[in-house]
Amino acid sequence: MSVAELKERHEAATAAVDSLRERLRQKRQMLLDNDLVGYSRTQGRAAISFSSTDLVCCRTLQGHTGKVYSLDWSPERNRIVSASQDGRLIVWNALTSQKTHAIKLPCAWVMTCAFSPNGQSVASGGLDSGCSIFNLNFQIDRDGNIPVARFLSGHKGYVSSCQYVPDDETHLVTGSGDQTCILWDVTTGQRLSVFGGEFPSGHTADVLSISINGSNSKMFVSGSCDSTARLWDARIASRAVHTFHGHKGDVNTVKFFPDGQRFGTGSDDGACRLFDVRTGHQLQVYQQQQQQGDNSADSPIVTSIAFSISGRLLFAAYSNGNCYVWDTLVGKVVLNLGAVQNSHEGRISCLGLSADGSALCTGSWDRTLKIWAFGGHRRVM
Amino acid sequence: MMFLLFLVTDFFFSGLVRSNVRVDLSELPFYFSGAVYLIGDEFFPCLVCIAKSSCISTRVIHSLEAMGCLCSKQKPVRTSDAEENAKAAEIEKRIAQEATAEKHIQKVLLLGAGESGKSTIFKQIRLLFQTGFDEAELRSYIPVIHANVFQTIKILYDGAKEFAQNETDSLKYVVSLENKVIGEKLSEIGGRLDYPCLTMELADEIETLWNDTAIQETLSRGNLIQVPDCAQYFMKSLRRVSDANYVPTKEDVLYARIRTTGVAEIQFSPVGENKRNGEVYKLFDAGGQRNERRKWIHLFEGYDQALFEDETKNRMMETKALFDWVLKQPCFEKTSFMLFLNKFDIFEEKALKVPLSVCEWFKDYQPVSSGKQEVEHAYEFVKKKFEELYFQSSGPERVDRVFKIYRTTALDQKLIKKTIKLVDETLRRRNLLEAGLL
Repeated sequence: MSVAELKERHEAATAAVDSLRERLRQKRQMLLDNDLVGYSRTQGRAAISFSSTDLVCCRTLQGHTGKVYSLDWSPERNRIVSASQDGRLIVWNALTSQKTHAIKLPCAWVMTCAFSPNGQSVASGGLDSGCSIFNLNFQIDRDGNIPVARFLSGHKGYVSSCQYVPDDETHLVTGSGDQTCILWDVTTGQRLSVFGGEFPSGHTADVLSISINGSNSKMFVSGSCDSTARLWDARIASRAVHTFHGHKGDVNTVKFFPDGQRFGTGSDDGACRLFDVRTGHQLQVYQQQQQQGDNSADSPIVTSIAFSISGRLLFAAYSNGNCYVWDTLVGKVVLNLGAVQNSHEGRISCLGLSADGSALCTGSWDRTLKIWAFGGHRRVM
Repeated sequence: MMFLLFLVTDFFFSGLVRSNVRVDLSELPFYFSGAVYLIGDEFFPCLVCIAKSSCISTRVIHSLEAMGCLCSKQKPVRTSDAEENAKAAEIEKRIAQEATAEKHIQKVLLLGAGESGKSTIFKQIRLLFQTGFDEAELRSYIPVIHANVFQTIKILYDGAKEFAQNETDSLKYVVSLENKVIGEKLSEIGGRLDYPCLTMELADEIETLWNDTAIQETLSRGNLIQVPDCAQYFMKSLRRVSDANYVPTKEDVLYARIRTTGVAEIQFSPVGENKRNGEVYKLFDAGGQRNERRKWIHLFEGYDQALFEDETKNRMMETKALFDWVLKQPCFEKTSFMLFLNKFDIFEEKALKVPLSVCEWFKDYQPVSSGKQEVEHAYEFVKKKFEELYFQSSGPERVDRVFKIYRTTALDQKLIKKTIKLVDETLRRRNLLEAGLL
């Protein structure tokens, strides 16, 4: 077959795929009779009243000499690991704000970090296209550094996101710029499964974020530059369980809802969406209405999201320094952490809720991390 | 301090080949160092410029000092053990020390696509300013060189087959019958994930095929099918590289082409002997990433904008767009740029064969003569175009930044050494200027 013929067939196939996709979208639209906010309204739900004293910044963690890109809480003992542009991982004691470990990474270009379930190790990944594991109990060497316990190599692009499988420190999932996600066995360094890549149902652009289901650790969701989020079953690497369309820009962040039946996404299009895992439908869009005359090219992108422990609150960080707290049921912003006293001075790049849900930590390009605790009569939301 | 070094490669050029579908580029010639090696790569031409961003070290020191006071203002610290406090203090001290040490290292980032010559510059620097390669390392390049040979001959053979099918004067691309057998075999080998060792027998067969007129014809149109730069070099030394006791020479290593993954880094001091006067440079090469640059470029600088690469644009226009964009970035206001027009040797060859005016940006070019004069004239024209672009994109407040253009051939060691010395001098002069000493 000649090149010209191949081209023609390729174009015809692409057109067919596009039209099928459009039909799917329309069908879904028809089936969507309501969204979460609409439903809550019929139930007479009102927004939570949230004042600026309900969530206060009680700690500012300083010490990084570069922008903070990623953070993760330890599952217990209230420690936080953060990764920064200065090429360091710092482990903090969240209660005393003291640094317990500072690790100078062999490759300074780090983009993600994670705490292991037993709190003994931390993982980090970045432009070195691999994931480095550090055991916090190891002896520090003469330069004060912890040596790499294991290096997981195999990705062909940067590692944008990594997470340990809940309650299992021997397994780790990473998302990468090579469009695949990989499930690793940490003890041997082997790749157990590769999600995407040659398989047709994988992402077609860089994977930017992953989130493992807390209630069913065999399922995880990934968000990518191809504007979709895909749900995967770790046991079946050959095809994604479902692909979620809807966003109009890179999906920068994905996070499972606490009950594991839904997940949220945040994207370059400035919106957050809530998707249902079982039906594959979109439940809600969370987006601030743009003022008239706003240049759409400057609209802030969502960099990171997290849910409160009940799921009632969705914390979303944006590139313009705002951090909205959305009431997920009513679809309204109840607080902007970017506008309160003592807020960050730069873009908030990452945020995460502590294991018991009593505190939120935000990391920013202003080189600091801040811990926010629920004040007043609220302990946990 | 952080610097940005973009590498401009082959400076004119057309069609970006992104998929396995080959676009017929015969009406758009390109001046080009040879093809980008692996089909399916993303090409991104780049400019070599050295940029200096604002020094953050003084702010860091201040914030570290302030840290001690701030902590006590917060909620009363639980009476944690003295050990924890001591450890934390130790960590802070170490961070401060590392920050001061890093202040003296000029960080340079090389951005560019495959084939723009970045890895070659790395190797050159190793040879020039470090201890170079020891025998074990030289040997480690043998599989790479053998792989390059297999890959090259496969590309040529497959290319000849395709031309024979599609070109109007297809007869000259038809490989002779005996060589066809060899060709099919080599093509199969070249398509494997792991290559066999290059034995004398295989080398002989490759040489026979290489000498086939059809293959040579295909080579002359090498830019259409992405024949790697090193093709001629290794093919001429087949006997040598397939010898059982072959140890690659430094030049061989420079030509060997391997795809870098992750970020490569190298630290060196141009004025090797007198370390005190010489600046210490740390060079980073992130070119191995074949993905959305906008998602990680912020690791190196402060910008968040996306730069879209249009598949239909030609590479020169992309270089122009990138350069223009970089010049306008607020974080580079005080940044000096040094543009390296790389692979000048190839430019010399091509400039005489294909008129510059074919590239949209240079469409007002008029050739004046021929031979060496013409090459110089063409080069000056390109240089002037970049200078114009620079001044257009620089507002009045950016007058104090320096802009220089150099021509380089990354494979020429003397040239690289001279260029780096020039760069070093310019940067040091800038530093002195800033410190008010000049």
